[in-house]
Amino acid sequence: MNRYDEFALEEALRIREVFPDTRIDALSVGPERAARTVERALAMGADEGIHILLGDDRYRMPRETAALIAAYAAGEGYDLILAGVMAEDDMQGQVGPMVAALLDYPWSTAVMSQKLAPNDRRIDVERELEGGRREALALALPALLTVQSGINRPRYPALSHVLRARSQPLVTIDEKAIVPPEAWESVVCLEEPAPATSCTFLSGSAPEKAEQLVRRLREKAFL
Amino acid sequence: MMDAQNRILVVAELHEGAVRPVTHETIAFARRLAGQEAGAIRIVVPGWHVRDVVCELADRTGIDAIALEAESLDPYNAETWRLALAALIRERGPSHICIPHTSRGCDFAPALAAGIGASCITAVEGICGERDSPTFVRSIFNGKMRMRVRANRGIAVLTVLPGAFPAESPPGPLPEKRKAGVEILRAPASHQRIRALGVLAAGEENLALALADTVVSAGRGIGGEENLALIRQLAGLFSKSAVGCSRTVCDRGWLGYGHQIGLTGKTVSPRLYIACGISGAAQHLAGMRRSKHVVAINTDPGAAIFRAADVGIVEDLTTFIPLVVARCRPRSGTPGDP
Repeated sequence: MNRYDEFALEEALRIREVFPDTRIDALSVGPERAARTVERALAMGADEGIHILLGDDRYRMPRETAALIAAYAAGEGYDLILAGVMAEDDMQGQVGPMVAALLDYPWSTAVMSQKLAPNDRRIDVERELEGGRREALALALPALLTVQSGINRPRYPALSHVLRARSQPLVTIDEKAIVPPEAWESVVCLEEPAPATSCTFLSGSAPEKAEQLVRRLREKAFL
Repeated sequence: MMDAQNRILVVAELHEGAVRPVTHETIAFARRLAGQEAGAIRIVVPGWHVRDVVCELADRTGIDAIALEAESLDPYNAETWRLALAALIRERGPSHICIPHTSRGCDFAPALAAGIGASCITAVEGICGERDSPTFVRSIFNGKMRMRVRANRGIAVLTVLPGAFPAESPPGPLPEKRKAGVEILRAPASHQRIRALGVLAAGEENLALALADTVVSAGRGIGGEENLALIRQLAGLFSKSAVGCSRTVCDRGWLGYGHQIGLTGKTVSPRLYIACGISGAAQHLAGMRRSKHVVAINTDPGAAIFRAADVGIVEDLTTFIPLVVARCRPRSGTPGDP
């Protein structure tokens, strides 16, 4: 599971601890192997696992993923949707706010704390700004939050949940059943960045490198 | 509707009524994108009572600027910003909307794009190709790889990574420039499901980091909290030093968020920056790119941090740092690390 999504799932589990009537659906969009991620979510404690199955390994742009999630979520009427702040690999940070726009939910990103008031149909959040400042907001439910890393410490799966997850079937939905969206961007290529041309790598044994570094730092009057 | 004179829209970001420097970086990006057609750029400042700032921005840049005003746009509100900008974009038909890749930009840009049917590319750090069909470069896998992306729609929303496009000097008004135009527009009222409750100051102010001549920074590669002692020892060799770190170090609880350097943390520009076990994700580089001299220590010779470094050392820092410390006589005084 994407590390950022673990924080989102953990936050959902904590909400359910406070409001035990909560049902948590864990959803992932991906090829066959994404089923294991959904199973992991069940093992952490989600009630239901939903896998929107992609027919191939092609990289999906955030909006394609968001459109699939929104199409499913539109029929479920969720009060609250939590997502990770970004994916660890492509680091786009787009899917959450896009799902909110497609569902017409208010949203907030990079959330560092939340306080849900279901009776008032409201959730208060603090989102992270630059330099450690935070912005406090109240959102009307239903709403979507992307959860910033560090908001909590994601738990390890409990054995009882792991056993249940093994026997519980996932809800698997083929993307073709949803009308797959077209891509609005295309990846022209992936490339390795140019090598570090301006960097002088020190050579020799570790003690020799230490000697060179100290000499350089003294020459530049840092030491 | 496409107006050839109005192709690129820059969304400015203010902080406490003043233009944030990243706005000028985003303008520099827009100028690169516009090439010879510098007249193709417009700046928009969403907010309330922003006319003076808009005039100043137009004077300083020589670019026509728009004050997009409504009470509901101040303080920042994701929904009202999205709707006000969407209405402006529909009316003006720009081809590219350039937004700083900040906490705020990341909040509204993807939703704006989804709502208006625009391509969306975030954390852009380079432009390739022709003016007619540019491709945008962004980092993936913690800076190990880059992805070139092309927008397929008539409109593209782009967020511009801080630090990737240096703001153009001079910052003062140029005498020979033509007088840039200023427009004041009233944004339509919209319903509000998000209410701002105020901004909270940083929980743990770390002035030492901003004032330090030398910053020694720890990344996930330090391996464990117990190795922070090494980082502190190394910092202790330098006068006016401070300990910083990458986000994952804070997320693991090894150091408080007041030490975090990067997009969501502090931006530093010390004389010397020593990166220990830091992979060099674009998010971190954005916070230290302006350091004068950078030394990187990492076991992975392919780590992205080496591309931002002057001196690279491929070693395990748990063995290497003690070797450095042993060769120096520690100065009196302690690192400026709370």
